[in-house]
Amino acid sequence: MTAASKPGDVLVTTAWVDEHRHDPNLRIVESDEDVLLYDVGHIEGAVKIDWHTDLQDSVVRDYIGRRAFEELCNSKGIANDTTVVFYGDKSNWWACYAFWVFKLYGHANCLVMDGGRKRWELDGRPWAKGPEPPYPPTKYQAKEPDLSIRAFRDEVLEHQAAQKPLIDVRSPGEFTGQMLHMPDYPQEGALRGGHIPGAVNIPWSRAVRDDGTFKSPQELEQLYCGEARLRRDSETIVAYCRIGERSSHTWFALKYLLSFDHVKNYDGSWTEWGNLVGVPIAKGP
Amino acid sequence: MPDRMPDRDAPGVQQRLAELIDDFGEADVRERQQMLLDFARRELPLPERLRADRDAAADRAEHRIDECMTPVFLWVEVNDGRVEIYADVSPEGPTARGFVALLIDAFTGATPAEVLAAPADLIQQLRLPEALGMNRMRGLHAIYHRVRRQVGELAR
Repeated sequence: MTAASKPGDVLVTTAWVDEHRHDPNLRIVESDEDVLLYDVGHIEGAVKIDWHTDLQDSVVRDYIGRRAFEELCNSKGIANDTTVVFYGDKSNWWACYAFWVFKLYGHANCLVMDGGRKRWELDGRPWAKGPEPPYPPTKYQAKEPDLSIRAFRDEVLEHQAAQKPLIDVRSPGEFTGQMLHMPDYPQEGALRGGHIPGAVNIPWSRAVRDDGTFKSPQELEQLYCGEARLRRDSETIVAYCRIGERSSHTWFALKYLLSFDHVKNYDGSWTEWGNLVGVPIAKGP
Repeated sequence: MPDRMPDRDAPGVQQRLAELIDDFGEADVRERQQMLLDFARRELPLPERLRADRDAAADRAEHRIDECMTPVFLWVEVNDGRVEIYADVSPEGPTARGFVALLIDAFTGATPAEVLAAPADLIQQLRLPEALGMNRMRGLHAIYHRVRRQVGELAR
């Protein structure tokens, strides 16, 4: 796919980012699973937004509020009309998560650099070291959270009861409920294993190639519409995983690469569902 | 390359851990991250005899820490009554790599009893949850408990 070749394309290549990284209205954002990775090396000019320490509230289990999101954008030099390009480690897993939070607060122009850190490295492009570059502060105005992309517990209970489509993007072991916690090791996830009844299991990583880039639209179509039997005309599709991060990657693939209009990420995910009293759970494949 | 044969008799493990806990405890969050990054930049020597293990699928699975997002491979040995830890961790996983290097620094050459006497909540005492985020502790706990469990088994 050529980078941003037509309106609506949100996937750009490393070459496109390399070429445009000095554009004044562009801000490159690195979001990694590993909080120290930006310091090992990053794209010159990129800022760092951490999914955990920046995007999540430190007390309540929730994302940062609207005001805190505005302050975050102000501090990173991101204005309402800035085009933000996300990239990161692990096939852009966390980049998609940050992308989702930006969409939650209504940021218009968001792109993802296909392949993330891995593709940049494989292409032999340079890494910059040193601290985060400062940018002039902005006066960001966030919108009210867009709840058309976020599902909450009670909504998912109704969704499940109505036998509407659910996609579980965890590993098969987590889906079947066979994953056992290690001896001497605290079980930090959920009190029950298994999945939400009716969910199909397509591990998130099946959407990407070895080099971290997304598979072709045809391959993704086969995976999600063929194998998982998801339909674009569904009223709503709910994606979930353990804490809502892997499912934001699948949410991105469905919504932006396959043009599904009605996909929600259930960020409570298994760490909420698997701890709720009395909710239905299925085990096995 | 000959296997690394550490011969650290002094300072003892308790003292070394106490120093690390002091250093990390006095640092602010940013400094603590930098200290872990310094550990992550260290070489992790992997003896020739273990490289085949690393490259063979079955052995890879046995030595891999599944809870870590980044591939982390650990070999824990007790030779002549002294603990040796070897590891293979990608530079793309500096958090796990730094923590593994810290454990190698603290435990290499120790007796099994010394390793087992180390605090079970070492990760908390180093104040890593505040520096890295609570949600990132899962992999580090798995590494720490794997090391201690294997040392315990080998000492029997």
